Amino acid sequence: MEISRLISWFRMYGWRHLVGIIFVVISLYPILFVITNSFADFPNLANSKLIPDGFTLKHYESLSGSPLIPYFRWLFNTYKIASIAGLLNVLLGTFAAFAFARLQFKGRRVGLITLVLIQMFPAFLAFVAIYLLFFQIGDVAPFMGLGTHIGLIMVYLGGSIGFNSWLIKGFMDTIPISLDEAAKVDGASYSQIFFRIVAPLARPILVVLFVITFIGIYSDYILAAIFLKDTNLYTVALGINIVFMDDFSNEWGSIAAASVIAATPIAVLFIFFQKQITGGLTAGSIKG
Amino acid sequence: MIYLGMKISTAIRYFFLAIYNAAAFYVIPLAISFESWFLLLIIGLITLLINFTYFSQRFQALKWITPGFIFLIAFVLFPAGYSFYVSFTNWSTGHILTKQQAIERLEDLSYSTDDQKGVEFDLYVLQDQDLNFYYVADLDDENLLFGRAINDDQYDDKFFATHEPSLKNSNGEIIIPDTYYQLSGKEQIANSSQLQELALLIDKNTRIKLYNISVFGASSGRLSSSQQKYSYDDVTDTLYDNSQNVECTLGLRGNFVCDGESVDPGWRINVGTENYQRIVNDQRLRGPLSIVTSWTFQFALLSVSLAFFVGLLLAVTLNNDKVKFQKIYRSIYILPYAIPAFISIIVFKGLLNPDYGVINEWFAPLYELFNIEPINWFRTKGSSRAAVLLVNTWLGFPYMFLIVTGALQSIPKELLEAAKVDGATPRQSFWRITFPLLLVSISPLLIGAFAFNFNNFTLIFLLTSGGPPIVGADVAVGYTDILISFTYDLAIAGGRGYQFGLAASVTTIIFFIVLIISAISFRYSKRLERVYGNL
Repeated sequence: MEISRLISWFRMYGWRHLVGIIFVVISLYPILFVITNSFADFPNLANSKLIPDGFTLKHYESLSGSPLIPYFRWLFNTYKIASIAGLLNVLLGTFAAFAFARLQFKGRRVGLITLVLIQMFPAFLAFVAIYLLFFQIGDVAPFMGLGTHIGLIMVYLGGSIGFNSWLIKGFMDTIPISLDEAAKVDGASYSQIFFRIVAPLARPILVVLFVITFIGIYSDYILAAIFLKDTNLYTVALGINIVFMDDFSNEWGSIAAASVIAATPIAVLFIFFQKQITGGLTAGSIKG
Repeated sequence: MIYLGMKISTAIRYFFLAIYNAAAFYVIPLAISFESWFLLLIIGLITLLINFTYFSQRFQALKWITPGFIFLIAFVLFPAGYSFYVSFTNWSTGHILTKQQAIERLEDLSYSTDDQKGVEFDLYVLQDQDLNFYYVADLDDENLLFGRAINDDQYDDKFFATHEPSLKNSNGEIIIPDTYYQLSGKEQIANSSQLQELALLIDKNTRIKLYNISVFGASSGRLSSSQQKYSYDDVTDTLYDNSQNVECTLGLRGNFVCDGESVDPGWRINVGTENYQRIVNDQRLRGPLSIVTSWTFQFALLSVSLAFFVGLLLAVTLNNDKVKFQKIYRSIYILPYAIPAFISIIVFKGLLNPDYGVINEWFAPLYELFNIEPINWFRTKGSSRAAVLLVNTWLGFPYMFLIVTGALQSIPKELLEAAKVDGATPRQSFWRITFPLLLVSISPLLIGAFAFNFNNFTLIFLLTSGGPPIVGADVAVGYTDILISFTYDLAIAGGRGYQFGLAASVTTIIFFIVLIISAISFRYSKRLERVYGNL
């Protein structure tokens, strides 16, 4: 009797848990593998055991102090570039969105359609032209040419501003226009309406878009690879993949520790904003 | 109060305008001197736009839009057009410069005439910490010359030798400063092929070369006079090679030709549709490119299908009110998506390592059972492609799981209950109702995922770098290369020089493919109507 109940439970629900658990293992294994290896005394690519024989922090310690592998410098560069570009992106995107949401002007429709069309082409597709353009900019203004963070930030700005202004505009449309009109009656200028009413009310979407842009830039490889040649200026994606890869199996412990440090904040941020990031329009634009 | 506020904002506006214009007027002459016409065009347009927007009081909307759109225009729209332009040029290694720059470069070249034989003197070879070579030439009491030795055909007055009496002590011995290292005779012999190319400049036409290396005493140097190698005649538009006494004529490919040999450097010229013709006609390019193109489509399609299949399986399996722990499952499945792809790819590179990797360890019993060699994942075409798809499925299924779950939950329950009442089996109601509705709501996202994977540079470049290589190809290309990674190698990183023109023509083709995909997406998703509705 008991057994037949068990069988019927399995046929109804048990197999679902079985499939579920198989994929839990598949999802978690590589993650646990890299975490435990980063603490393992003898990190070993072949060691499929998830509980290492000895616990050590030496791989984390090895990441600081080596002038040839300035890991924390890369991390700092990445955070610097991604936050500056993310902030400016959202700021300038909000300005543009305000015009599209609240002002009537000629070319508004064309401008909006342009934004939607541009957003379909990844910015890095024109990387040959970007490379040549910044090669020439470097002749004229070396501080923002190839090999500089400023140039890279400018390219990131161009790449996601269309997408962001479009989404912010959509959000601003949901803010009642009667608020503006009341303020206008009281004699407020457009900039006062923007800074005191519309922008503060749009804050939820601005935070989400900042996070999305930040993660996108953090994970970018191709544009950073085109721009940055000096090891000290690398982002973390470049650094790990170029410098460590020379001696993959011997460096494995350090690579694992570097990966854990680089991935954890992003994963936490992502899980925290998961609903907004995966929801609707924003889909598919982030990983890379 | 408000009036005062406006005053301040106006002042700020003029302040920033002044800074921008000052920068622009500093940069514009430079752009002209470097002949960066496209750069000039874009700086000019931006300058006009900014002044037009912020000096005038009339265009309220432009004031808000301009700051963001400048970046959009300069670094997205403009490069797209520029890319198109470059695809019609022969811009590549040897043809990087403009004609003017190439002629200047050629006129700076010089050649040595060894006409002052006999005059020999002691020469000491030094090296600094950056391994640059320096010479000390002990000509006579008046001339103890010191300076950096540069390539023989170069000319740069920055490196003129200087008289340094302090390098000799009262006994007439040479003293080497601490920051330099003096090469012994043996070390000079070891570096002789390099040293042969070097010279110490004295003036425009005279230089010192290492003549005879001595192992026991000081080596000797000789003076040689050098002359300008090429002179350009702008009336006839020809080049004269002074060393060979031949006239060089204008070649067809953006260079001068002397005695049938083209002179390096050349310059970039417009070659019409030549790059596109090469893609179609050049056998050594067409073969690999068709492999790459077909794999790009297969890769994008299979990646989306596999991830969608896994995501659908999980979503359908777990989407049942009576299944416990759904939240826990869901939060675990998000993890592969939450980690930056460049990290996950590294981990998989380790897991798939043929010698030490865990995946081969797992497969070991299978290998023994069938008595086959362990798979070297990145060695063969089939296994490396399988590895790429395996990793991409792991990266992609959480997203599919999330969107399918969302879509499943938005299907009205009444619909399924009505089907049940009408006597449909669960299987029938899934295939007849749930699945079609699901496809309708997520097909735009699937097309989006296809477009994303079509250009998934990071995965391919970091996991396999495109390898294993296609043997016999004229360019650096491998079996897992997709169009964008192939183009990247072609343009910048393939180790066979820069082929910007050809690479730009491939990106132009990718542009059109993405355009078609987007058009299809719009058509099926009715997204455009939503866009219009939102205007």
